Amino acid sequence: METYEAIKQWKDANITAFFKSNRSLNEFHDQIMRKVFQVASDKLNQPPPCDYAWFITGSGGRFEQGRISDQDHGIVYEQSTDANNEYFIKLGEEISYGLDVVGYPYCTGNIMSSNPIWCKSFEHWKLQLVNWMEKETWETIRYVQIFYDARVLVGKSSLIEQLKSTIYQYQLEHPTLIRAFMTNIKHIKNGIGPMGQFLVEPYGGYQGCINLKYTAFLPYVNSIRLLSIKEGIFETSTIDRIYRLMEMEKYHELLQNCTEYFEVLTKYRLSLTEAEDYDDTHYLHVKQLTKDERKELKRILLEGKRLHDEVKKRF
Amino acid sequence: MEAVQVLMDNLWVAIGAILVFFMLGGFILLEAGSTRMKNAGHVAGKTIFTAGIGTLVFWAVGYGFIYGEGNAFIGLSNFFYGDASAADGGLTPAVDFSFQVMFALVSLTIAFGGFAERAKLGAYVIFAVLFSAFIYPVVAHWIWGGGWLAEHGKQDFAGSTVVHLTGAMAALAATMILKPRIGKYNKNGTSNNLAGHNQVYTTLGVLILWVGWFGFNGASTFGVSDGFLGYVILNTQLAAAAGAVAAMFTAWAVTGKADIPTTLNGALAGLVAITASCGFVAPWAAVIIGLVGGLMVVFSMKLFDGLKLDDPIAALSVHGTVGVWGTLSNGLFALPALSTDIDWGQAGLFYGGGWEQLGVQTLGVVASGIYAFVVSFIILKVMDKVMGGLRVTEEEEIMGLDISEHGSYGYPEQMALEQAKLTTAATKEKFS
Repeated sequence: METYEAIKQWKDANITAFFKSNRSLNEFHDQIMRKVFQVASDKLNQPPPCDYAWFITGSGGRFEQGRISDQDHGIVYEQSTDANNEYFIKLGEEISYGLDVVGYPYCTGNIMSSNPIWCKSFEHWKLQLVNWMEKETWETIRYVQIFYDARVLVGKSSLIEQLKSTIYQYQLEHPTLIRAFMTNIKHIKNGIGPMGQFLVEPYGGYQGCINLKYTAFLPYVNSIRLLSIKEGIFETSTIDRIYRLMEMEKYHELLQNCTEYFEVLTKYRLSLTEAEDYDDTHYLHVKQLTKDERKELKRILLEGKRLHDEVKKRF
Repeated sequence: MEAVQVLMDNLWVAIGAILVFFMLGGFILLEAGSTRMKNAGHVAGKTIFTAGIGTLVFWAVGYGFIYGEGNAFIGLSNFFYGDASAADGGLTPAVDFSFQVMFALVSLTIAFGGFAERAKLGAYVIFAVLFSAFIYPVVAHWIWGGGWLAEHGKQDFAGSTVVHLTGAMAALAATMILKPRIGKYNKNGTSNNLAGHNQVYTTLGVLILWVGWFGFNGASTFGVSDGFLGYVILNTQLAAAAGAVAAMFTAWAVTGKADIPTTLNGALAGLVAITASCGFVAPWAAVIIGLVGGLMVVFSMKLFDGLKLDDPIAALSVHGTVGVWGTLSNGLFALPALSTDIDWGQAGLFYGGGWEQLGVQTLGVVASGIYAFVVSFIILKVMDKVMGGLRVTEEEEIMGLDISEHGSYGYPEQMALEQAKLTTAATKEKFS
C-alpha cells in the first residue's frame, strides 16, 4: 500500500471484521495509522534525521477509539536543529493530510503534528511542559492532560516516558498543581436527572439520545487520568490505569466497581459501530436499550459521577 | 360620593384599557425575541399594523357583533360604533368600548403566534380582518354579549376562553395548515431547536405582559367598588409567580437545565391560568392554579413538538392548554362567597358545589374552542387556496421575512454580514 487512498480502501473494506472487541478495533486503528505514517515518511524522500517518537493522544492514545475518531497526535524528536525542525514539521503536515484522507478528520483543536506546538524537540517539549504547568491557565493545563494520554505508535517510547516523568516530578514538587488539573475537568455533563431519569439530548438529530462521551466516558477518563498523574502511572488506557491504581491499597474502595463498569461502557460504545460520522459514535438512543440495559447504564453513569465527585473532594 | 365612584370606575377601566394595549408591547418583544434575527423586524412590526386593522374592524362590526341586539349566536346592531354619551351611573360607553377593543387585539395577536416566521404578509392582513369580524366577536357574544352561553353561569373573569382560547385555536389551525418551518424537523423525525435570537427581549416581553395583565384581570372588575381589584391583582401576581417557579423547576427536573424560555413561558402560563379564575378563587388556590399551569406548559410544549406542530412562540401551550386548565379550575376552586352568593355560577367541587360548575366550564371551553378552531381552519384553508398558499416561498423563508415581505432587515448590519459570509471574501472585507 503506497498511497493514502489505497490504505483508505483497505481500511473501509476490513474494519467491520475488527468490531468484535475494543482491543481488536484499536489495534486495527494503530495498524492503519502506522501505515499512514510509513507512506507519509516515504513521501519526504529522506529518512528521519534523528531519533523521534510519533505519538497519538486523545481517545486513540487511551486505546479507546470507536469506529471513527478525529486525529490527535504529535512528534518528539531528539535534537533541535533548523533542518530537523523543518523536517519534522513537514512530516507532521504530511501525516495529518494522510490521516484525513484515510478517514481520521483533522482535529478542530489543532492537536496535530503539523502544529509546531505539538511537534518539538525533546528539550523544547520539556520546557514547554514546565512552562504550561507554571502558567497554570485553563488552556495550558488542558494541554498537559492531553499530553499525558500520549502513546507512541512509531519510534522511541522512552522519549515520552521521560517527558511524563517530568510532569510527575514537577507535580510532586508543586503539590497544589493537582488542584489546577482538577479545576480543568471539574465540569461534567450530567447523564442522570434529579428524578433518576436519563438526561437525553432535547433537540437536534440526536434527540432522545444520551451523549456517552460527555456523560459516561469523561467522568471516568478524567478522574482516572488525574489519579494517574498523581501516582506517576504512565499507562494510557483508562482500564490499564485502573488496574495499576488498584494495586495500591488506598484506591481499592474507590475503584472497586470501576473496571467492570468501564468495560461495559466500552462495549456500549462498540455497539455504535454503525456510525456514519464521528458524532454518531457518541450517541446512544436510550429507548433502544432493554430495561436491564437501561438499569445497567444508569448504574454506570451514577458510579462515574460518584467517582468524579469523590476525586473532586480529595483535591 | 356616587359621582366620585363613577369617575373612579371610569378612570380605572380606562387605565386598564391602556395596560391591556401595552400588552401588545409585551407580545412584540416576546415574539421578536423568540424568533430569529432575519424575521425580527417583521415579527415585531406586523403587530402594529394588525392592531390597526383589528381596531378598525372591531369599530366597524366587531363590537356590534358582540354587544348589538341580535340572537343567541350573534349581535346585529351598534355597527360603526359612535356612542359619545356620558356615564349614566356606570362606565361611559367609550371607556367600555376602549377596554373591549384591546381584548380583541390581544386575542388577534395570540392567533398570529401560529403564523410566525413563515406566513405571507397578505395572510396577516386578510386574517386580521376575518378574525376580528367573524371569530372573536362570535365567541365573545356567546359568553359576554348575551349569547347562548351567557346565561349558563360560566365563570370567566377576564376572558380566558374568549381571548386566550379563541386566539390559541386560530393559532392551532394556522400551525397545522402552514406546516413546520424549514429546518425544524429532521428526516429521522427528531426536532431541532430553532432558538430565538434574543432572550433579553423575550424576558422583557414577559415582564411587560405581566404588568399589562394587572389591567387585563384587574380592570375586569369594571370598577373600584370594595377595592376588589386589589384582590384580583393579588391572585394574578401569585399565580404568575407560581407558574414561573413551577416551570423552572420542572424544566430543571426533566432536562437537567433550568432553561430561560421555559421559565418565561411558565410565568405566562401562570397568568393565563388565573385569567378565568382570578375573581373567584382564594389566594392559596391561585398559587395552586399557577403551579399546575407552569407544570403543564412544559409538558404541553414537548407534546406539541412531538406531534410535529411547530409553535415558535409556544402560543398553543401557553394560551391554549393552560387556558383550558385555568377555565376548568373554577369548577374546582370557586369560592361560594364569590360565586353562588353573588349569583355568578356555582361554587367549585372542593367547596361542595358538586360537578355542576365544572360541567358548565367544560361546555364553554369545548363549544368556544371548536367554533374558533373550525371557523379559523375553514377561513385559512380557503385563503390558502385563493392566495396560492399562505406561506412564503422557501427562498423567501430562508432569506427572512424582513427582506421578503418588507424590503429591509430589522438588523441590517448583522444580516449584511451574514450574507457576506455566504458570498465573497471581498464583500466580507467591505463589512469588516
